[in-house]
Amino acid sequence: MKLTVNGIEREVESAPLTPLLFVLRDELEVESPKAGCQQGGCGACTVLVDGEPRRSCLTPVAAVEGAQITTVEGLGSPESLAPLQQAFTHHYAAQCGFCTTGMIMAAQAYLDHGGTEDREAIQSALAGHVCRCTGYVKIVDAVSAVARGDSFDLTVTAESHDTTNVGGTK
Amino acid sequence: MKAVGARLPRYDGIGHVTGRTVYVDDIRIPGSLWVKALRSPSHHAKIVKLDTAPAEAMKGVHAVVTHKDVPLNVYGHLSALGIPGDEPLLAEGEVRYQGQPIAVVAAETEELARAAVEAIVLELDEQPALFDVRKAFDADAPKIHQWGNWYPHFEAEMDRRQIRKGDIDAAFDRADTIVQGVYRPAAIEHVPLETQVCQVVPEPSGRLTIYSCTQALYFSMGVVSAHLQQPLNKFKFVGGTVGGGFGGKVDTATETMCSLLALKSGKPVRWRWTREEEFLCSSTRAPWHMEIADAVTKDGWILGRKMLTLHDAGAYARFSPYGLTKHSFHHTGAYTIPNLEFNGYVVFTNRVPTTAMRGFGVTSVSFATETHMSRVAKVLGIDPFELRLKNANRIGDTSPNGITYTDPSTVPTIQAIADSLGHELPGEYRAMTPARREGALLPEHLVDQLGNPEAH
Amino acid sequence: MSAAPEVLLPSSADEAVSLFGDGADVTVVGGGTIVLPELTYGRLKPTRALLLHRAGLAGISRNGSTVTVGATTSILDLSRERAPVGPCAANIADLEIRSQGTLAGNICAGEGPDAPRGDLQGPLLALGATVRSAGQGGTTTEPLEEFLPKRRSRLLLDVSFEEPAAGAFAALGRPHTHDYTALAVSAVRAADGSIRLAATGVGWWGTRLPSAEAAAGDPEAAGTAALADVTLHDDALASAWYRERTLPVLVRRALAQLEESA
Repeated sequence: MKLTVNGIEREVESAPLTPLLFVLRDELEVESPKAGCQQGGCGACTVLVDGEPRRSCLTPVAAVEGAQITTVEGLGSPESLAPLQQAFTHHYAAQCGFCTTGMIMAAQAYLDHGGTEDREAIQSALAGHVCRCTGYVKIVDAVSAVARGDSFDLTVTAESHDTTNVGGTK
Repeated sequence: MKAVGARLPRYDGIGHVTGRTVYVDDIRIPGSLWVKALRSPSHHAKIVKLDTAPAEAMKGVHAVVTHKDVPLNVYGHLSALGIPGDEPLLAEGEVRYQGQPIAVVAAETEELARAAVEAIVLELDEQPALFDVRKAFDADAPKIHQWGNWYPHFEAEMDRRQIRKGDIDAAFDRADTIVQGVYRPAAIEHVPLETQVCQVVPEPSGRLTIYSCTQALYFSMGVVSAHLQQPLNKFKFVGGTVGGGFGGKVDTATETMCSLLALKSGKPVRWRWTREEEFLCSSTRAPWHMEIADAVTKDGWILGRKMLTLHDAGAYARFSPYGLTKHSFHHTGAYTIPNLEFNGYVVFTNRVPTTAMRGFGVTSVSFATETHMSRVAKVLGIDPFELRLKNANRIGDTSPNGITYTDPSTVPTIQAIADSLGHELPGEYRAMTPARREGALLPEHLVDQLGNPEAH
Repeated sequence: MSAAPEVLLPSSADEAVSLFGDGADVTVVGGGTIVLPELTYGRLKPTRALLLHRAGLAGISRNGSTVTVGATTSILDLSRERAPVGPCAANIADLEIRSQGTLAGNICAGEGPDAPRGDLQGPLLALGATVRSAGQGGTTTEPLEEFLPKRRSRLLLDVSFEEPAAGAFAALGRPHTHDYTALAVSAVRAADGSIRLAATGVGWWGTRLPSAEAAAGDPEAAGTAALADVTLHDDALASAWYRERTLPVLVRRALAQLEESA
């Protein structure tokens, strides 16, 4: 079957029930979506399928025949980073980086669908994504900044802002 | 010095956001075999029969490794710190925790590896299991470790970590009240987003290239070298970006097992743990049982503390004695208590062995100490901030293990917390500093104690 | 070694029904959110897998006062409906799972390894829904209550219910998006004024609360009465003890919400 990945049409030979995650990683050598849990519980495998965020570990490849798949490699490169990639870098929203690619794709979909800088709306959109390193605040900062239309100086890390409990009371 | 205080960008940030950062599972080595483990279904059992022949006979299965293949099966990871070895790499004769690895296989597909594991014949003779640290000391408790139910190899072959300071009996005699509390934080899973993963490539030169997610590359190299009884120069360890560790990837054993499979099969092998394996069998932060009794005066001085700690090491010692030692040194937390009687035990249970996690050994006692201070304040009817400030570490005070504080930060920290919460402190408390005690801050019970710790 | 499964990709409802046959030896895949992990972990080794995403079974249609929801309608689409279906669907997992998960996958899910599944059973029971399904004996339509015990062996085609006068939904909060809902109550005031109540998390699948319905005029009494309709259990999400104390609260809340929307 055929699949378009980051704009390039690819021929896929994996069995129809193979999760898209492993078609991407093992057959097509697109390594950015990660196998964090292989049961849809962490979000590290999220990619865009025709612009919609989907857990690639839960998606049988037969279900996306002919679809457009987008991963971070399709968003931007080190020479030409997409706004979200710049924001995540500038706001220090990635530490170990393992959750980052899935997080960015979900955030990209949120923004593409008109998502605003409202922190609760961002948290709701990213609710299925687990990060064990950052505590989420800077991730929400980064997405919020892009929604707001900020530009990013990649030679410095953003000034730390008042770290309010995400979702808690002060 | 230009870097200090500067907001430097993260050097690997761009790699992370563009998907270019390479984690161990992203490395593609042609011809790699998949690894799966046969794990104990039982909490505690004798192995009556282990027959790997049916797995070895399967087409596409290239190697099966058990304890028989390990040159040195039992190795103490912290033997340099005086902690002898007790844990087999692969189970030999018995299993002591559910999930304990018994055998590992390398096969051409993941499905084949799973089938090979299922083909291994395993017969167990169930033994009574111990899960509650408090029961470990009962005469009729099941005996679950060759050293007895708690670790006996502290210095001078003591079976506990103990600290004695001052005169605890006098403190308890003089107290107006004794405040008691029991604190039992549960085990915590590290849950790094990246599960444990390892790849090993046998090189034509006879060396092994090992791609590892370990947090401690040189440490792991030593561990593999010891188990395999091979010199360090036989191994090329390639570390790199760890997808989260938090202490849970300092005691990885995947490198050793994969090395044995690579040597036996002559092929590269790859082992990526499933999330279920992470939750069921990877080491956790230890659960703790702590009992505190503080001898206190009406006006809020803590004269003395008796404390008992039971640290749940799980089935094997690993780093637990080290964790308990750190715990003991910090058992008065940010406060100065001059008379101490601390006893801590590393207790074995039939649970997954526990390991380091951020703040190893100390988060438990910080939790207990802080909660207990609030309890003392409540019992005495004293403001919890004032109680803490009064007993706070100051310059010249000593820690439980006899270290003299030269720059303790308790006082300004508590004042800052009060500030940020809008909690009004009376003038004398607002004016407190970490300066050496004098006057009202140097009551009689502290005069003799400061700078005079008893050896423990 | 198990052979690769035969993968069936019907492009119409009729074809799906025909391929499903009597359901023997067929694993049905709606969105895949429940089935795929079972395949990945080697717990499920289907001989035949029936993928429904192209069978034209998605969609919500209205015919007068009757609402019909196709089997592969996404939970996300359902989350935009009015109470009780809407808030129930919105309370399932996270955005990505809701986008991929289907009505039929949710209703027909078997017991999970540690907790009941199938949140949408609750609202649909309260709505007095009927299920059209295929399988042994042909295509049939029956009340959801009768369908549920055999849900694992039928091919659900669509679910229909009458638009209610009012609906309400009350659930225990989930600690995290990935947790299933431990306990939830759906309430419906039908067009004829009668009140129906149903709960999930009170057994292995959803159930009506007839004793609570009989006392619906008095929310306090209804809450207590609901306990007679259920056999509570312990599972990974909550204990029977906890459910016993919170079920009456949720019944009262659902009835209060219903009252407010009058």
